[in-house]
Parts: sequence; C-alpha cells; structure tokens
Amino acid sequence: MKQVAVFGYNRLSVEVISRLDKEQYQIIVIDHIAEHIQLAEENGFQVANIDFRVDDDLRSVGIGSSIDTLFCFFEEDSENVFLTLSARALDKNLNIIAIVETPESAEKLRVAGANKIIDPYEICGRKIHDILKRPDITNIFDHTVFGRHDLNLAEVVIPENSYLDNTYVSQLQLGTQYNLILIGIVNKQVSEQLNFVVEDVDRRLSVGDILVILGPSREIRAFKKDVENDFSKN
Amino acid sequence: MLTKLIVYAAYYLKSSESYKNSKLFFYNLLENPSSTSKPYFDMFMTGLIVLSIFFLLYDVEHEASAMGGYIEQGILAVFACEYLLRFWIYSDTHIIILEEHEKSQYLNIEFSFYKTLRKVIAKKMEYIFSPFAIIDLLAILPSYRPLRILRVFLVFRLFKLFRYSSSAKLFSDVLASKRFELLTLMMFTGFLIFIASVSVYVFEYPEPESKIKSLFDAVYWAIVTLATVGYGDIIPHTVGGRLVTILLILTSLGILSFFTSILIAAFNDKMPVLRENRVYSELERYKSFIIICGYGRVGQEVARQLSNDGQKFIIIDKKAPNVELAKRDGYLSIQNDASKNEVLLSAGICRGASAILCVTGDDVTNVYVTLTSRNLNKNIRIISRTNRHDNVSKLYQAGADHVIRPFEIAGLLAAEFLGQPVAFEAISGILQNQADIVMETVLVNEGSCLDNQAISQLDLGDKKLSLIGVISANPIHFKHKNKYQVKQQHFYFNPEPKFILRNEDILVVLGRKYGIDHFRDQIEKHRLLARKVL
Repeated sequence: MKQVAVFGYNRLSVEVISRLDKEQYQIIVIDHIAEHIQLAEENGFQVANIDFRVDDDLRSVGIGSSIDTLFCFFEEDSENVFLTLSARALDKNLNIIAIVETPESAEKLRVAGANKIIDPYEICGRKIHDILKRPDITNIFDHTVFGRHDLNLAEVVIPENSYLDNTYVSQLQLGTQYNLILIGIVNKQVSEQLNFVVEDVDRRLSVGDILVILGPSREIRAFKKDVENDFSKN
Repeated sequence: MLTKLIVYAAYYLKSSESYKNSKLFFYNLLENPSSTSKPYFDMFMTGLIVLSIFFLLYDVEHEASAMGGYIEQGILAVFACEYLLRFWIYSDTHIIILEEHEKSQYLNIEFSFYKTLRKVIAKKMEYIFSPFAIIDLLAILPSYRPLRILRVFLVFRLFKLFRYSSSAKLFSDVLASKRFELLTLMMFTGFLIFIASVSVYVFEYPEPESKIKSLFDAVYWAIVTLATVGYGDIIPHTVGGRLVTILLILTSLGILSFFTSILIAAFNDKMPVLRENRVYSELERYKSFIIICGYGRVGQEVARQLSNDGQKFIIIDKKAPNVELAKRDGYLSIQNDASKNEVLLSAGICRGASAILCVTGDDVTNVYVTLTSRNLNKNIRIISRTNRHDNVSKLYQAGADHVIRPFEIAGLLAAEFLGQPVAFEAISGILQNQADIVMETVLVNEGSCLDNQAISQLDLGDKKLSLIGVISANPIHFKHKNKYQVKQQHFYFNPEPKFILRNEDILVVLGRKYGIDHFRDQIEKHRLLARKVL
C-alpha cells in the first residue's frame, strides 16, 4: 500500500482523491487551515493539521519515512514552492506532484525538486483546443480512457526471466491474443523516451522494458498475470 | 393616358431583371460599403482627383497643353457620370410611383400624377442638397467654360476625397461630435475679433503712420494676432491700440488652448470606438473564426494554441488589463461585455463564427454568455468552462456543447500520473501533439478505396500506422465486440481483421503526421481516379 500525502484541501484535491484507488493508496489530507481540516474530516478523510513551514511537523506526518507521494495543492504558488523545497530536502526519493497558478512558477517548482508540475489552466486550454480541432478523438478518449467506459491505459514492466525477454515485438500478437493494442515501449536502459511501436523496425524486448498498452481492464489484468506467471513456469 | 403609360413603365421596370441588376451593380460600386468592388472604385477616383489637381497646378505656370485638355475632359466626364449615377440610384422612382398608384387604388381615389411627381422630385432634391452631392457638383461646374471664374472651386475636388476615404470622414465625425463646444467657442471668438478689430480701428485709423486704412485691415490684423501668427506688417502705434493688442493676445492664448483641448478630447472619446471598428472590419475579412470570451489563463492558452494553428479568433473581455495583454500578444480583442447581445452580434456570432468559448473565471458569466450565444445562434459550437461540479448541468441546459472543468481535468491527470507515469506521459503527449506521433481520424467516404474493405486488406502495418479503432454510427457493426457508446456513435476498439468498413466510418489511427497525411492523400487520389473511370 502506498502512502500519499495531500497538502491543501480544495476542489482540486477532492478531484484527485476521488480518482485514486482507495485499496492501493492510503491518503492523508494535510492543511494548516482549521476549516479545511474540519471539512475534510467530515468527508471521512484521514487528516492532519500541521504547519507545513516546520520541518519537524512534516516529519511527524511521515515525510522522509513512510510517505511515497506528495501532492502540493496549495492555492499560493509560493507555498507550493516552499513545501516542495522542504519535502525534497527531507526525502530524495519522494514523488512530488505540484500545481501551479502562474506559468512563471513552473520553473521554480522544477528547481525546487517537483517531479511533475500540473498547470490546470494550461491543461484546460489544451483541452478546449483539442475539442475544437479533433472533436472525434477527444470525444472517444473522454468517454473511454478518461471516462466511464472500460478502456484503459496500462504499463507492464517485463520482469526478470520473463518469457517475453528476447522476444520480438511482432511475436507479441497482443491484438489477437488479448485484444490489447501496444502503443509503445520504454527502454529504461537507454532513455525514458517512449518508442512508438508503429515507428520501429521489429524490436527485441528485454528485461525492464515497459510496455504501454491500451485495452479493456479485464484483458490488461489477464496479460499482466500471464507475464508474471510465465516467469515462475520457466 | 400619360398616367397610365407612366404606371405601366414603372411596372415594367419593377419586373425587369436587367434594370434591377444594373442598379444593384452601380449600388455596389458606389455606395455599398461592404461590397468588394467599392474599394477599387474609391481608389480609382482618388487617383483621378489627384491627377486633375495636378493639371490645375500645372496650368497655373504653364501653357495649357492639348493633351492635358483631353485628360481634363475625360476626368470631368467620369465625374459627371458618377454624379448622375448617384443621382439615379439614390431613390427608386418607379417604386414611389407604384406605391402611390397602389395606395390610390386601395383608397379608391384618383391617382394624382402631380402629387406623385412632387414626391419623386422631393426625394431627388434631397440628394442634390446633400453635402456630398454639393461638393460633387462644385467639382464639376468650374470646368464649364462660362463659369471659368469659379476655377478656384476646382480645389473642391479635394473635398471629394472625403467620399472615398473613411479616415477623412472620421475627422469630420469627430468635429461633428463636438458641435456644441465648437459653436460656443466660435461665437466667442467672433465676438472677440469684432471687439478687437473695431477698437483697434477706432484707435489707429486717425494715426497717420498706421497702416489700418479700413475696417477690413483691422479684422485682418485681429485674426493674425489672435492666431498668434503676428506677421508684423500691421502694428499698433497708439497706447490704446497696444492695450487692445495685449488683451487680445492674452485672450487668444486661452481660446487656442481651449480649441486644442476640445479636439483632443473629441479624438480621445472616439478612439475606443474607432479601435473596435477596426477590429470588426478586420474580422469581416475572415471566413471562419472563433470567439473567445475571457482572456484569463485558460483563454490565453487556447489563444496561443489557436494562433499556432493559424486559426483566426477574436477575444472579448470585460477587464482592461486582460484586453491590454491580448493586444500585446498581437491578438484581435475588444473590451466589452460578452453577455450583451449586440456585442456578440457585432463580433459576428451569426456571421462567420464557428465556435464560441466561454472561458472566464466566473461561472455566472459563463452560463450567461452560453445562454445568450445559444439564443442568438442555434448551430454554433459552444464550449464552456466551469469551476464547480454543480454548474455542469446548468451549462448543458443553457446550451453548451461541451463543458470543461479545469480542476477535474487536472485532478484526473494528477491521479493518472501517480498510477502510471510512463503510459500517461505517452498518451498525453500524443493527445497534445507534443510527440512526433499523432493520433488522427481518417474518414471513409462513399466510393473511396476503403469502402467495403476488411481491416486486414488495408495493410496499415506496411504504412507504419496502427489502428486504434473505428468510430461508426452504422448499426451494421453492432455484432462486433469491444464497442463503446460515445454519444450517438459507437467506438469499436481494436477491430478484428475481418471487420468490414462502411461508408462514413471513421478510422482512428496512430502514426507519424506525414504517414497519416500520405495515407489520406492515397485515399483521395484513388477516389478521384475511380471517379474518372466512371
């Protein structure tokens, strides 16, 4: 179970929390404003009322020890930058996701050590542009991958000694065997860059590669299971 | 008998297509401000005027040449034609006659020929005495030999320029808008000139050295002094005259500054309207554009993306700083309230606008603008933004086609990123066109080479494209599995190789941009070839 700390209780954090799988993540909501904390408590979240400016307080909720992921959702960019800096100092490996209000702050957050920076307005603007320019595709993705229908993106890491090691992409036959579409492969040893399948000449898979696949969740589960089981068979 | 003939002629004109067409042609050429031919005509006339003035100036110092005379005659003929044409299209005489005729028939009274004639003439006189028509006439008349003395009036041709240039017209509009202030000032100035000239005349005339020999000299001196020009050809010699001069100079400074300030104020008042008009006239040249209401963060982002695409758009925002920013970014923008009907109408919501984006930060404004736009145009695409979940249904009810919640999308992204960062970066890269690889749609047209083909026959793999799925509203595909309902259509994910494409199906393919373009080209080429064979 992964531990997630959400700093700042507002509309955005409510959205994010509602989309996280409660079975997989243990979520704690942290805020320094008493009303927010009270509201979060009423909604049934685990809460902590601490001052994010004090390192000892941050340690007391588990930053630097048990917390894996940190969401900086304060409304002020300066607060988010400060929190990111403090948290990064406490834990080098923490996964920090922060929002920004103004675009100039994005660079500061990156310097402060955030792993992912989310600009809600920029995303929203992009989205509107997509709706205008490519209504069909946007529509499909809204209803399937991002929406109610069961069509998901997933990433599958090839484990050690897997039967997939040293096989070619063309041998995978995900489309016919599993009803999945392989979008691309990330070769961790080379770079973080995603290699699209359509692009490449037949690639050979190796341990540690990440397959990015698209399909119904049942098929994804089946594929994941097979990938893991085969490793025990061999 | 004559009356009957005239009424008959009027009916004939009304039914005549060629008469109507030729009148419409000249109307478009001369008067219709939105016609395409008018700007060329205006330019041509401006050229003629400049040419004729050039000949006038040339004649002052040189002998009139025969060639110049012919050209002058030609120009004059054009002017006269223009005058007569304008006279003709100013009113529809036959319609006036018919109206009168029908009225008299309806009321069962006798059709009065003279009454009708009076009406017709009154209408035409209205044209003759309009300021522009007078200027036109003055530009023609001086060339008539017996009236050669009026040659100076040829300069009036320059006034004709007002007709052909909107910026010159603007100046007169500005002056007209301050009519009251200017009139007051003029009266005061006239009064002052009168007092000053009379008193200086009284003081100076008896003086033998004085050059003021008449009241006209005195008026001339007063105006030269008042305008702070002061040639010094006439100077006061008596103490009384000098006192008058001092008073006149002091007062005239006030008058001049007052006059300047009136003009500046008038131009300042007119400026925003002017700028707006410029924006609108620029907008009129676009065939299709998008209206963006609200230039906040979201509006800025959309504008940036759209301008990258070369898509035209106009920004409407109530807040001055936002409009200022939009201007600095080089976008067309107007500062106004988008929830007002006339603002949206003049922004072209019913003419050329293909979509309207309500992306202000305020939900109430967005709902209101959405409602207003839907009311004005039933078919326009409306995309609205809201911050609160409760307002989504309200926006749909108000007529929005799409509703977007920034925090929802951001939340979704954050949650997805937490679970599967690699996959998510990939897909958002594709969706946002950041990667080289794009996802696009390809339509199956009737008679295209894709129609009635099975997926396996397409050889998409060879073309380095991968098929994600097919969008179709065709019920023939219902038996296939993996279908997802999306509005009225179905999305068939990962279709089987034996899936047969039908007309109007849409393929969703992933691949390099030029790969997809090439695929489309091939389809199109094939379709054209097939048509030729048929």
